[in-house]
Amino acid sequence: MAKKTNAVIVGGGVSKFGVRQAQIFDLFQEAAKACSDDIPALKPTDVDGLIVCTTMAGRHSSALNTAPLVAHRLGLKPTSICIRLDTLCAGSNSGIIVAKGLVESGIAEVVMVTGAEKVFMPQRWETNYTQLAVNDHDWDSAMGLGVPPPFFAMIAKMHMKRYGTTKEQMAHVSVANYNYGSTNPKAHFYPKTLSMEEALSARLIAEPFGLFDCCSLSDGGSAVIIASEERAEDLSDRPLVYIRGTGQHATHSMSAGWPGETLAEWPHLKRAAEVAYKNAQVSPKDIDVAQTHDCFSISEIVEVEELGFCKKGEGGAYVASGAINIDGERPINTDGGLLSHGHPFGASGARQSFELCKQLQGRAVNQVKGAKFALAHNLSGTCAQHTVVIYGTEPVE
Amino acid sequence: MADLQEAKIVGTPALDGRYISEMDMWPLECQEFNRLYQFYDNLREGRFTTTKCKKCGHIAFPPGVICPRCWSEELEWVDLTQRAKVVTFTETQAGAPLGFPPPLILAWLNFGKDSPIKHLLVRIINCAEGELKEGDEVKLVVFEVPAHPIEVKRETKVCNRVYYAFEPVKSASM
Ligand SMILES: [Zn+2]
Repeated sequence: MAKKTNAVIVGGGVSKFGVRQAQIFDLFQEAAKACSDDIPALKPTDVDGLIVCTTMAGRHSSALNTAPLVAHRLGLKPTSICIRLDTLCAGSNSGIIVAKGLVESGIAEVVMVTGAEKVFMPQRWETNYTQLAVNDHDWDSAMGLGVPPPFFAMIAKMHMKRYGTTKEQMAHVSVANYNYGSTNPKAHFYPKTLSMEEALSARLIAEPFGLFDCCSLSDGGSAVIIASEERAEDLSDRPLVYIRGTGQHATHSMSAGWPGETLAEWPHLKRAAEVAYKNAQVSPKDIDVAQTHDCFSISEIVEVEELGFCKKGEGGAYVASGAINIDGERPINTDGGLLSHGHPFGASGARQSFELCKQLQGRAVNQVKGAKFALAHNLSGTCAQHTVVIYGTEPVE
Repeated sequence: MADLQEAKIVGTPALDGRYISEMDMWPLECQEFNRLYQFYDNLREGRFTTTKCKKCGHIAFPPGVICPRCWSEELEWVDLTQRAKVVTFTETQAGAPLGFPPPLILAWLNFGKDSPIKHLLVRIINCAEGELKEGDEVKLVVFEVPAHPIEVKRETKVCNRVYYAFEPVKSASM
């Protein structure tokens, strides 16, 4: 009888994120090239499965049946799986969950999970107008809920009112993440650094958010390789990084279904995290480094609370204490996060997971010394769904 | 790069100005395309409604053709409260999608503990920027939105449409 195999993340790569002079297949090719540079032994014929994660490809790039088109462009001829997956901002971390299941069940051995978006169109209005199609169109979007800042601004106002969170505390998130990103040439805003003064005096986007509280939309692509541990050892000499546990929780589609007492409570994230911690057999205190979905500065504050890194309501004080900085108790968004990278929806998850792979292999630029456990998180939609993936240097017993 | 001034053909002339439902900001509301057309017909009569399950009593929002709690198809239309209180709100400074001219005011409403819908995110209209406050009472307002064509056999029929938002109660007498 074959012994159970464990799924590992072997390596990955990202394209330059930003306002790119490129079409979507250029971005998928750039991501795959970066991935092959990271895993020199990897050949196109090694990849038996392909999961293509994108939201905009149907609307913005007229590429509805995307997966076979990407396979062709990358020279892949998948034999186990070749699918497109769309969970908006959580796309490629959702893809990693699927890939883990396929590898551990024996259906696939080496799966590329890749995500890309071409967000910016020849005329700027089209990008914001398309946001009406990524929310619950007939209900929330018809109310004018398009681009995310207004919704997250309401979350911030409510968190400030209920828990005393301040603009200064939110600025600590922006400063930390921009400064991490200033070391990462792939980030949209590389090599920009940020000071508290600059963060707090930035132009207003939506009260209480200034420019640096909000991540930018970006064009970009990312790719990672998820493989069985046996195949991973053929492909790379680096330490194995195991996908220990995952959780994904969807509670609603439109605002009427919001599960929290107010917008400042995200019980659906708490639940997704509980599932992932249980599967991974770890607790919040075990997590050495995390990539949480910092679409807005306030998001990271709510996330450290609901992920259990601090008590509910103390996220503002937690981030301001320096806990998220490189010398802090739990560095977060060490590659710059969404705030510095920008956010090509389907590409962000694999970008986060690739950074955590490097952290647990001891080769990150902003390396957390001796990191053993790492956590990636995405929220998606109008904060309607949460996705958590936990990595470790050892498999679950 | 070609000079737009000198280009002979620009855009997508093949579409010849046709309506594109894929780019429509409003729902397809008519009976031919939507089993929830009653919701919009009720709006036209000033009613804010949704579907209630006759089997388990669950009131869902948005309405549907099955009950999301017990999957029964035996549903009836019931009226919802048309007044709510503003919990929090934002006035969008920039970046609102086309079709939502400034000030685009979005509010998180509380419908009270007796309402089957606790909260809803809505657009506030008939309200100047800076006028709305937390705790203000708002009420339903229904308005016409652009119609769209549909092909019925060889004919082109026009589907009229309405949508809803909320407005401050104090401006109700205007
Ligand atoms: Zn029912």
